[in-house]
Amino acid sequence: METAKETLKVQTPEHVGFRYVLAGLGTRSTAFLLDTVVRGLFILFIFLVVVLLARWLPEFDPSGLLKAIPKTWFFALGVLAYGVVDLGYFLIFEALWGGQTPGKRMQKLRVIRVNGQPIGWLESSIRNILRAVDILLGFYPLGLFVMFLSSRSQRIGDYAAGTVVIVERRRNVPMDKSRLRSTSKLNLPDVELHVSTLEPKQYQVIRSFLQRREAMNPTHRRELARLLTHRLMKKWGISSTVHIPDESFLEEIVGIYERTRKAI
Amino acid sequence: MTQSGAGADSKRIAISLTGIKPGTSAEDLVAALQRIFPRETAEQIRGALARLPLLLTRSASEQQAKKVKGFLESKGAVLRLARAAVSTESAPLPSKAKSPSTAATAPREPEMVREAAASQMDQPYIGVERRAKPRVHPGISVHPMGIGEILDRSFRLLRQHFLLFFFILLIPQGIFFAFKKTSHMLFGIDIQQGATASMGMGLLVSVILVVFIMLIIQFWAQGALVYAVSETYLGHKTSVGASYGAMRSRLGRLLGTMIIMGILLGLLGVVIIFLSGMIVGALGSAGGLSGLVGFIVVCTAGAAIFFHFFLNWLLVDKVVVLEDQAWFGALRRSTQLMKSRTEPGFWKRPKNKAGLILFLGFLIGVGIHLLFQLPGVLTRIFLPMSLGGLTLTLQQVLNVIATSLAAAFAAIAMILFYYDIRLRSEGFDLKAMAEHL
Repeated sequence: METAKETLKVQTPEHVGFRYVLAGLGTRSTAFLLDTVVRGLFILFIFLVVVLLARWLPEFDPSGLLKAIPKTWFFALGVLAYGVVDLGYFLIFEALWGGQTPGKRMQKLRVIRVNGQPIGWLESSIRNILRAVDILLGFYPLGLFVMFLSSRSQRIGDYAAGTVVIVERRRNVPMDKSRLRSTSKLNLPDVELHVSTLEPKQYQVIRSFLQRREAMNPTHRRELARLLTHRLMKKWGISSTVHIPDESFLEEIVGIYERTRKAI
Repeated sequence: MTQSGAGADSKRIAISLTGIKPGTSAEDLVAALQRIFPRETAEQIRGALARLPLLLTRSASEQQAKKVKGFLESKGAVLRLARAAVSTESAPLPSKAKSPSTAATAPREPEMVREAAASQMDQPYIGVERRAKPRVHPGISVHPMGIGEILDRSFRLLRQHFLLFFFILLIPQGIFFAFKKTSHMLFGIDIQQGATASMGMGLLVSVILVVFIMLIIQFWAQGALVYAVSETYLGHKTSVGASYGAMRSRLGRLLGTMIIMGILLGLLGVVIIFLSGMIVGALGSAGGLSGLVGFIVVCTAGAAIFFHFFLNWLLVDKVVVLEDQAWFGALRRSTQLMKSRTEPGFWKRPKNKAGLILFLGFLIGVGIHLLFQLPGVLTRIFLPMSLGGLTLTLQQVLNVIATSLAAAFAAIAMILFYYDIRLRSEGFDLKAMAEHL
């Protein structure tokens, strides 16, 4: 059966287990594309600086020393800077930013060692020097092939450096509680008792609906609210003739659940 | 299709489900019954199937009974049809009865669920437009995803069901390759060059026929892939044979809809090129620079219009296969899905997301092609010239494999994208979970 996510389990010497979600080809490609854009901007910047320096700098030098330097030197300097950006972009960023580049940061990815520790200069150097092999002929043909066969989605550089790319745990944005509060107060007997029987998984379904409802098609939104309300009422043996809008009912349920859980 | 009055009522037929053919997928049958009885949950139908024989209806017209029989028997049900005497006072059957596959031939309330539905009678059912409801396996996790996650999951699906998807797409590619080679060897014809006047009339007709057959096989494979990806994504098992088999009844509609879409896009392209030519011609006569600027503006506008429609209809094949809609209805449904505002933000609009997915899929496809070109290039360099024919064939075979892989990846990504839109706008994952609440 298809699994939603691939994970890497790491156990510390203290027998504390961590589980990381491994990044796949899609998120890594997206991050690489973003990095390519950033690198392009860097290179454009270098090009502009070199052109401006070569054109204007000698005129601001009263000693005339710079005028003596041939313009080709400026361009040589530009080529050198380009090389540093092209080769060092990933290496330097990953080493200094704890395994992240701007693209990886935007995609919430991070390179770590397979034992869960952060990478250093050595790991960053190995995986990024071997990028040249992965990217052979452009578009990562070898990298794709090796990643396809790897259970941890590692490319050659990752294997050599002992690293993996993980998806950072996303902190859920707290739900806007004001949108949960219904105007009508639920006035049902034993409602708090009923809500206390709600399992976390069931609460999650109702909460997910309330969080996602704005994006939903109105007809399906109504139908789902109706279905959830109907199921809960049936489960709790509440008469379905209670006159309260379905979504308000669900909001109240979530509100009561969160209140009681907080109290516990 | 409409039948009314005593004459029609006197020919009412009772349909009973008496058994299930060996080797039938129970899930498929449950899904088929759910399409006929949309108000019933999968559990209710599963429960009813455990207590066979099951009276589905006693008031179907002859035509409806025939359709229901054909539909359910193709899903593995064993049915018994018997004439039933129904009083003329009974409520008429739906006058707008469609084919069973459109899930609208539903007879009146089925016996098996009348009891269960009784409790719902006090709450009128909200008339939700009926779509083929995705059957999510209870153990599977489906949730809204971002672009990266869609591609990640596509890659994982391709890896986990590699042989299934690969062989589904390899079949048309392989047939085409074999035919191309054979025709080249026997008649010296290259199918890809198309029919030319220099060919004999017989050969010309044969080539056109072959191209048409190839088109059918190609769309059959496309539909089978949509079906297979959908099944595996939702947590069900399927095979190459089952996927092709599931497409048999929908092939005509898929082919017709895709041809309509192709014709419309082709016409649109012609109109855009014609109008662009006229505008550029008019501007060009006015002056050199304005002609150039006009050319750029007109070309950009034309391309934008073309891509607008192309992206609007990007989900048509999924709609035909997974929702049993066809023709212009499928085009409209695809447009509706692509226009749904499911998330705030420019890059999160369905069309922009689809464009990005296609672009990334294209880059990954190029990578796959390059990888498979590598052995061919190496053999050309290192093997002697006398083996040139062999290396060329090897290169062509590898090209077929690369095309199948790249196409599979892009297709999987687009199918997951289709489901992502439906997840966000219809919340069917929540519906599936709500049913187990």
